Amino acid sequence: MFLGPDGWLGIDVGLVGSAVLYAALWLFAIHLSKHSEAAFPADAPLAERQAWVSMVFITLIYFHWLNFVSALPGLGAQADQIANPASRHFAVNLAMLIVGWTVVSGIVRTKNSEPVALDERDLRIQRAAGRAGSALVSVLIIGLISALVVLPERLDPWLRPLIAANVLVGLLIANTLTENVYAVIRYRREYA
Amino acid sequence: MTQAELARVCGVTRQTIIALEAEKYSPSLELAFRLARALGRNLEEVFRFEEK
Repeated sequence: MFLGPDGWLGIDVGLVGSAVLYAALWLFAIHLSKHSEAAFPADAPLAERQAWVSMVFITLIYFHWLNFVSALPGLGAQADQIANPASRHFAVNLAMLIVGWTVVSGIVRTKNSEPVALDERDLRIQRAAGRAGSALVSVLIIGLISALVVLPERLDPWLRPLIAANVLVGLLIANTLTENVYAVIRYRREYA
Repeated sequence: MTQAELARVCGVTRQTIIALEAEKYSPSLELAFRLARALGRNLEEVFRFEEK
């Protein structure tokens, strides 16, 4: 169903372990989307439910990206090739996660259709979330610049075009993840 | 008028009406006027300004 690498962030879970882990995650996500009324307050707007779904899937994508990028420096010259041993697993997992994200998002949207899907409060929260994401990316870029200046020899294995490209992709993922985490927290605070 | 009806008339989600009632959200001027009109009241009767 969803066969990932044998190792996950340095933990060797094996092929069967990976399959069981991902199957459990999938079943949990689909169960949650079908019974979202049990997980959310009764009046939770569609935008909040979508932010939760996005947050969960982007978190999974982010950990897959971490797993993938951390393997790249060890590949040496192979890391410069798009079709390297690590990228195949990553591409398959990423595709499966995006399909899962689309399916679960669609189920949530269908089961919670409202006359107004997005109003001014949602837009205000989204704008604030965008600012939070941008602030985090700025901090991360400053951190990267500082690391390149202070620790050039330690970062040497990372200074390859495709690794740098993947690090930039990671910044985009971090930006989107921050936006959704911020949105979820803002919505939750309004219930408190 | 129920929260759901008010939300539908004003073009917002019911959660926004709940957040407004709980004073956790300050509406735009346009929404404030729409709410007052939907409730058949003047703006000052529905909302009051408080210095923080």
